[in-house]
Amino acid sequence: MSVIDPRIHQALDGELASEAVPAELRRAVAQLVAAADLLAAPLPGPAASLESRVMAEIRRPAPSRARRVMGWLVTPRAIILRVRPAWSVAFAAVVAALTLFTTGHDGPELAEHEGIAQFVGRFPEAQSVHAVGTFNDWRPGSIALEDQDHDGVWRATVVLPAGTYEYMFVVDGERWVPDHLAERLVADDFGRENSIVIVRAAPR
Amino acid sequence: MDVRGAPPDAEVVALVLAGDTEAFGFVIRRYEAGLLRFATRMLGSRDAAQDAVAESFVRAYRHLATCREPARLRTWLYRIVTNRCKSHLVRRSVADVPLDDAPPVADPADTEAALERADLLVLVEQALADLSPDKREAFVLKHVEGLSYEEMAVVTGERIPTLKMRVHRAREALLKVLEDHA
Repeated sequence: MSVIDPRIHQALDGELASEAVPAELRRAVAQLVAAADLLAAPLPGPAASLESRVMAEIRRPAPSRARRVMGWLVTPRAIILRVRPAWSVAFAAVVAALTLFTTGHDGPELAEHEGIAQFVGRFPEAQSVHAVGTFNDWRPGSIALEDQDHDGVWRATVVLPAGTYEYMFVVDGERWVPDHLAERLVADDFGRENSIVIVRAAPR
Repeated sequence: MDVRGAPPDAEVVALVLAGDTEAFGFVIRRYEAGLLRFATRMLGSRDAAQDAVAESFVRAYRHLATCREPARLRTWLYRIVTNRCKSHLVRRSVADVPLDDAPPVADPADTEAALERADLLVLVEQALADLSPDKREAFVLKHVEGLSYEEMAVVTGERIPTLKMRVHRAREALLKVLEDHA
């Protein structure tokens, strides 16, 4: 419940003309407008453009997948392990599924050095979810997750060459989010956080 | 740098996607000031804001093909920066939000009005930092960056009534601080 006169909000939202604001409320409106103007003023100090920093980064050739994996393996780094209590059951299910798929006998036929990865994410409002990562050169579209029972939990099971991959989910084609159910989360070279999946070759 | 005469966003996006990497400079020059101000208000730290915005531009470049509406590049960029700011905030508690722009030091050349204005800015920045990240984000997008509620919904993925409620709560908190100070 609002603790200030709703006409103040209406005035600030452009729903009430300024001349229609009662005199006793105009001071509050003016105070908030002045505060917003202060925050909107140009930041003090020299304006250091980010252009050279950003352009240098994007001109740098993207490392190959093998190089990225090797780089991750040999670079000392802090690893963030996160298991949220509410997700622990789902996490256990994913781990169990991965274990079954990579060691069981009922999975699909796999070539040598191939394994199965299962991606699971909960996105109740999403219209589409894709997995992107070092396994598909971060190109959305090739691995689409499905929510067949419309419960907001999206899944995909794919065959990948055995290896360690960084990945994220792309929700509705534009929102990139790490998978917090992943085995690990790692910061990449530019300070971002990617999820890690390890695909183990099925025993022959 | 001057970006007057630069092609519209949709054309710039098409150029970059066609392989003209340098055209992305138009995007940076056009939007970095607003995005830096937004990130600074969100994170309370100029350095953290520069990192977040730089990371966001690189992410935007790498995933430009996923920008479904190039003509609305601005809201897409704000969405990316919003998510980067949230990631930064998750890594530290809200209580730790630094206000690294030191309070202004009195200068003989400053007028009394300018000093009052500087004092008020410090007060407002602190009040903003005391808001929850959701309310801070809503207030800054609405009143500092001048986005409509419809644009804010695209940026945040939240419903308009939710955003209005957050803006209202933020205004109430700020107004209380301002009135207590008066």
